[in-house]
Amino acid sequence: MASAASSASAIARSRSQAMRARLTAYGFLAPAGFLVLVFFFIPMLLILFLSITNLATTNFTTDVWRMATSRDPKYIVGLDNFERMFADEFAPKILFNTLFYVLATLLLFNVGLGLVIALLTAHVDRRAGFLFRALWILPRITSPAVYILMWKRIVAASPFGILNQFNELLGRPEANYFQGEAWVFIVMLNGFIGASFGMIIFTSAIESIPKDLMNASLVDGSTIMQRVRYVILPLLRWPLLFVTTYQTLSLLTSFEYILLFNSGGPASQTEVWSLAAYNRALNTYFANAQWGYGSAFAVVLVIIGVVMATVYMRVFRFNELVAEPKIEVL
Amino acid sequence: MRIHRLLPLLLIVALVMALVPVASAQETVSMRIRCKAVPPVEEWRCNNFAQVESQVEAALGINLELELIQDNLDWGPYKQEFQLAAEAGEAVDIILSGHEDIGTWAQAGFIIPLDDLIPNYPEFADVVPSLWESMKAPDGKIYGIPQDAEARPLYFSKPLLRDLGWSDEEIEALPEKIKAGEFTFADMLDVAQEAVELGVVEEGNGYWHRPRNGPDFLYFYFGMGGQILDEAGNLVFDKQAALDVYKLFEDARARGIMAGKHLGIEWADWHTAVSSAENVLFWTGGTWNWGDWAVNYVADRGGEDYLFENIGVALVPALKTGKPITLTHPLAYMVSASSKHPDVAMALLAAITTPEANNRHAIESAHLGILNAQLESEDYKNARFLSLTHPMLEYTTFIPNHPNWGAWSEAYWTGIQSVESGEMSAEAALDVVVNRLQNEIPGIVIR
Repeated sequence: MASAASSASAIARSRSQAMRARLTAYGFLAPAGFLVLVFFFIPMLLILFLSITNLATTNFTTDVWRMATSRDPKYIVGLDNFERMFADEFAPKILFNTLFYVLATLLLFNVGLGLVIALLTAHVDRRAGFLFRALWILPRITSPAVYILMWKRIVAASPFGILNQFNELLGRPEANYFQGEAWVFIVMLNGFIGASFGMIIFTSAIESIPKDLMNASLVDGSTIMQRVRYVILPLLRWPLLFVTTYQTLSLLTSFEYILLFNSGGPASQTEVWSLAAYNRALNTYFANAQWGYGSAFAVVLVIIGVVMATVYMRVFRFNELVAEPKIEVL
Repeated sequence: MRIHRLLPLLLIVALVMALVPVASAQETVSMRIRCKAVPPVEEWRCNNFAQVESQVEAALGINLELELIQDNLDWGPYKQEFQLAAEAGEAVDIILSGHEDIGTWAQAGFIIPLDDLIPNYPEFADVVPSLWESMKAPDGKIYGIPQDAEARPLYFSKPLLRDLGWSDEEIEALPEKIKAGEFTFADMLDVAQEAVELGVVEEGNGYWHRPRNGPDFLYFYFGMGGQILDEAGNLVFDKQAALDVYKLFEDARARGIMAGKHLGIEWADWHTAVSSAENVLFWTGGTWNWGDWAVNYVADRGGEDYLFENIGVALVPALKTGKPITLTHPLAYMVSASSKHPDVAMALLAAITTPEANNRHAIESAHLGILNAQLESEDYKNARFLSLTHPMLEYTTFIPNHPNWGAWSEAYWTGIQSVESGEMSAEAALDVVVNRLQNEIPGIVIR
């Protein structure tokens, strides 16, 4: 009897301990959960709602509740915005632009160049490597407006543009870099900043590789390339997944550099999906902003983002990467 | 003890004394006014208010706190700033903007109708009557007070024409020939092609228009016989007229006259290139560019004298309709619905709607006058550039005050860019533009 009672109280104690542990865990998660709720889920719901309305400057109202409950066809248009969007002959072009922009910037710079810089600076004198990385960070901590202003001066028309001054010296005709080669510059100016993110993550990951592994590979007579291929890269799988996933999603929604550089022109040739959403919803030269239509563009972006994130997690087997280690690490 | 008893009394006395000066002071009214202006030439747009501040204070018996917010932000962000503030109910009291915004902003409830207030101020009776038409929303009410007007002419480089072998007499006679319809846009393109072929200008520098979207492009459409509104007030897109415009630019590109070199470049770079009269043979701009160039671009070469010596000004040569053309885009002061003192705003607007105040702006910035008395004033008549450009109003056109004009204009401009950058043929561009217009403007008449 006494032992039954003591085992019951032991169970109760362990339950309350488990409950407390769970509460503590939720308590720690709460601030992040709050931020995700307020800055992701609620805006997403608002955008979903706005995408089925035709709210614009011309039928402007702040009474969202009345708009939502009235079913007034003046506001609630169902899926009309999506029909319009996919009927626009520019939509496939903008979608292709977005894929090109994300893939080119990601592969060449955010992951590619980031990895190259990390590998190079981890293999030179420590202080020199640190200095180089510090310099590379500078554009990231510069205001986007100032950064783009510098780029605009580089590619500007004669007599201001630095590149056009070289063209003049070489006897080549003046070029309008906002037009013909606009993609080259858009990928580069985004990539130089994007690469610094990967550079930091990869450098710290390379530096945290246990020295024994490196020493063992040296004893085995490996060349630098072999060490990179067979020791370093396999150990960078998690950082690579993280940088690729994070930067894909970040590039999908980033348009500020393009907006400031050439507004996606000429004729939508460098317009990406997020910029199209912004242009429809907020930015028109002659004052009629179409929030409902712009939100429909944004909804597509949310869907693409969620699908891509899920695919990445499956491909890179995210669950295995965050699973508890099978051996005890001391 | 006694002090304690007196304390409440002392407090009351102190309170009353503190309040007395406030009670006897005049009411303080704060007014926030937002203007876009090219510094320094256009800054009278807001600075004129400071000039009449004490006059209005005396007339209304109030204390004015004026906050004049003036810079040269691009029109897009400038209008966006007002819209976002108006949505939040925190817009400035008076906003200066293009008259075409009246259509959209009136419908959105961002600005207030002024019909009932205008008769209270005799100053407004002197405004050139035709300008009031452009201040009306589709509901027929007036929502703006004209601030200035302009024409959008063709400019040409005199030295480059001379390099082509033109005599001074021929150059000086060109504006009149254009006005008479004897020198058409097609003739102009022929001359420009010759200049490119002879190496007088680089390829692509035969003719330039502005680098970004704007009202200018509508005169090409009008010049090709296009119509913008039907009798019922619906927006119209005339496919043939638009195709003719796109073919015009496609042809100019194929002939090396245009190469999209100036598309999307910075305004300052565009002004630098054209104002020197050394790089581009023909270009279209606005009268106000003249004032800007004189002060901000060629001041070191002699300012306005340099411009008169090297740059000619004329109407835009005739297109398909056979008549030369230009476009006027009056700016308007509008009183925002967020303003708590529309009466004070109107008193301020009346006080600056005078020949003296408007001449300060018009003459310095090369804008056309808006008041009858101003047009008759000696100062205005003696302004050489204005005397050349004012008669252009006879050939002018306007953009419509329609809420969907923005979408129309963006789509039409997309077609121009597509053709000029060589991305699409004129026919393909037309298809894309018609598709976009049908998508974005319910009720548009495509014909």
